[in-house]
Amino acid sequence: MRRTMLYLPGNNPNMLLRGHLFEPDGLVIDLEDAVSASEKDSARVLAREVLRRGEFGRCEVTVRINGLDTDFWRDDVAAVVSCGVSGVRAPKVESPRTVLDLDEELSEAEEKFGVKRGSTKIFCLLESARGVWKAYDIATASPRVTAILPGGEDLAADLRTGRSKEGTELEWIRRMLIVAARAAGVDALDTVFPHVSDDEGLRRETAFVKQLGFDGKSVIHPNQIPIIHGIYAPTEHEIETAQRIVEAAAAAAARGLGAVSLDGRMIDAPVIRRAEYTLARAGLPTEKR
Amino acid sequence: MEINAAKRKIPSLIDGYGETSGKLFEGAFARVPSGYRAGPKMRAAEPNGGSKVIGGIKEAVMASGLKSGMTISFHHHLRNGDFVVNEVIKTCAELGIGDLTIFPTALFDVHKTIIPYIRSGVVTKIMGSVNGAIGRLVSGGELGTPVVLRSHGGRPRAVVSGDVHIDAAFIAAPTADRGGNISGRTGKSACGSMGYAFTDAEYADVVVAVTDNLRSFPISPVSIPGIYVDLVAVTDSIGDPAGIVSGATRVTRDPLRLLIAKYASKLIEASPYFMDGISFQTGAGGIPLAVTAFMKEAMRRRNITGSFGLGGITGYFVDLMREGLVRKLMDVQSFDLEAVNSISSDSNHIEISADWYANPWNCGVAVNMLDVVILGATEVDTDFNANVNTEADGTLLHGIGGHQDTAAGAKLTIIAQPLLRGRIPCVVERVHTVTTPGEVIDALVTEFGVTINPRRKDLFDAAADFAISKQIPLVPMEELAARARAMSGEMEPIHMTDRVVAVVEWRDGTVIDVVRQVEK
Amino acid sequence: MEANAIKTAQAGTLESMDCLVVVSESDAGRAIEISGGAAVRFKASMEKEINDTLDALGAVEPIRISVQDNGALGVVLGARVEAAYRRYARLAP
Repeated sequence: MRRTMLYLPGNNPNMLLRGHLFEPDGLVIDLEDAVSASEKDSARVLAREVLRRGEFGRCEVTVRINGLDTDFWRDDVAAVVSCGVSGVRAPKVESPRTVLDLDEELSEAEEKFGVKRGSTKIFCLLESARGVWKAYDIATASPRVTAILPGGEDLAADLRTGRSKEGTELEWIRRMLIVAARAAGVDALDTVFPHVSDDEGLRRETAFVKQLGFDGKSVIHPNQIPIIHGIYAPTEHEIETAQRIVEAAAAAAARGLGAVSLDGRMIDAPVIRRAEYTLARAGLPTEKR
Repeated sequence: MEINAAKRKIPSLIDGYGETSGKLFEGAFARVPSGYRAGPKMRAAEPNGGSKVIGGIKEAVMASGLKSGMTISFHHHLRNGDFVVNEVIKTCAELGIGDLTIFPTALFDVHKTIIPYIRSGVVTKIMGSVNGAIGRLVSGGELGTPVVLRSHGGRPRAVVSGDVHIDAAFIAAPTADRGGNISGRTGKSACGSMGYAFTDAEYADVVVAVTDNLRSFPISPVSIPGIYVDLVAVTDSIGDPAGIVSGATRVTRDPLRLLIAKYASKLIEASPYFMDGISFQTGAGGIPLAVTAFMKEAMRRRNITGSFGLGGITGYFVDLMREGLVRKLMDVQSFDLEAVNSISSDSNHIEISADWYANPWNCGVAVNMLDVVILGATEVDTDFNANVNTEADGTLLHGIGGHQDTAAGAKLTIIAQPLLRGRIPCVVERVHTVTTPGEVIDALVTEFGVTINPRRKDLFDAAADFAISKQIPLVPMEELAARARAMSGEMEPIHMTDRVVAVVEWRDGTVIDVVRQVEK
Repeated sequence: MEANAIKTAQAGTLESMDCLVVVSESDAGRAIEISGGAAVRFKASMEKEINDTLDALGAVEPIRISVQDNGALGVVLGARVEAAYRRYARLAP
């Protein structure tokens, strides 16, 4: 699950050590925008040591590295791959070429540090019109790519507009990215909601992207996590239906049947997967009790 | 050296405090009162209704008959804005009165101006909580006799039982009249409730009201009636309003505190006490106040109304009452302007004395009616003993406040505190000072979840459903202590001398612990 | 650069749970100074963390390490010492 992926400023020990306590689905240790150019080296050492020796609960741990157009990204990759992170979030991905370059660097680092080849996933931030336009090609450029994400401020600027509270400038981009992600078989994760005190606005935006099909959002403040989880939480009715589907499927499997119907509806593999996902979001066991 | 029931080593004789045999802590509820209350000196008012206004503080000190070696008391309702303690001590020094025992309910940083008078022997003993600069002075061993720390309930108990005799009480009075009636509700130095001053007024041999707002006789409503008050001193200003009341209290947005508060409120919701008529005390700290905010949401969701909020009252509690979520407020101390305004205008907002609030030895103490209290602590040990008195370096930090009393009285006592303050863990093998014994503490809530005292198996069962649905992570004490050790590393011991700088009394007057001087 | 300027580099901050580490030249050996927050209860383990980090880096002596602590856990202290030393080592002799 990637309903919430919390950004942690890479040079801030307090947040690096405590971020997991807020139980987001994932963490994004940020070595890029949250760290000034003069502190890149110090933040990289701190992130590496915290990754090595810290605790992260059940969170998926990823790192936003510096852009492939900078002098920092190769050192970032070396530092974090040596700790075996789940994935790296690459900023400003413009083309499949960027993904391939990163893929190659990751493979070398995995080889060097004895990490299983291909285990480090790539999350692609599409922060320009070019990147968004090439979304499908980027998402399919490497088997490492696991998610694509629209940018926020940078993307708005590239579109020659600014960010609005209603997200007008992102509306079509979100619709496009969800199609590209699903076509490529990767997750679609939404950008952050920057107004940390506007709980109502966050609820509205989350409900919108959830309905579009997004798997979750990036998060910049821990207080946003329960709100987003609340929106993604299935309703009582959804839970009940999902439980009946999972139970019916289990019963059918026990009797050696491939497919069954429930309430006159065919229960096949995608329906079961969907039901299991619903139960997981509700924090319930997915096996038949 | 003796060992008390909290497993602490207590010297048999403490210089400047006395023998401890027969006075050792035996258990939270082991001691019961016998005999009769002590009484103050009898006296009569002027037959022809004369005025009690005597002039300023100097005239009042002279008229009070105060002599060297006596005990004088103060209350701390003016908190860090108080001028009265400093003025009275300075006046005593000018009049050549020394060797005084001061018996304040608490001293604050504003009172550091009395430090020279401590050094020069005007003040030789302090019974009351010492914070800030005076706390550091005492920790360094600069006061000849140990400070005696008592809880908000233990202090009036000491007075009514005769353990402490007050020769003169100087009561800062935001409003007074010539008949000696006092109120905290109005005046430029208004502080709301005057709860801590009641017992002093009832039991001191001489009672002096110090006011900067003399009104026509009689004022109403009255906090302390003139039947207890001998003299009225008038000054330009008894305090700085900015230090007396704070602005509107807002609930924190600090995510770590909110997380802890959320776990604490879930535990309350899971407990058997979460039903119509629930009563609670949360004080003014960041985490407890946030607990109140979460409880408000839970009470609405489950359609529950509370009976009363107790203790130090904030605007946040006033809002709870206005919104119908609690019916009454029992206020021993009004923390902010909204609380002061509310107690002045709403008869459901009740002014109570510290005796009524917390004294274990009366027959109507309010803490015994309490369902839930949320408290803090600098340290909790694996036996759930709590320390609120000393800092990680062993120096005196805080008084006891109502910690002991509410923990002993409430059905559910929760300590809510981050596991780490910087590198310093709040969970340790053994607290440096036992303020409140583990037998009256039911749960510790940290950012890692809820740790229930094994003594409270019923609470475990009550929380089980919430734990299964992952709303409350239940963390055993051993795991929490191991986690703290793993993150912080082993703490080095504090080196102390044998000299006792403070005695911590349990609310029943027994010695629960002593604080020793830190080696320089 | 003046002839008597002392070669010095630092890393970290004085934010909560962090520390500020300054590495500079010294007369002899490895001088360690620690002040602030947790120092009173964790001095020995802090010194060990600093020494272990410097040993792993093969730190060249003489050197002075000065730490102003605001509650840094060992992992953070080690990272700050490493970053400060790496910056120090990059400076021109």
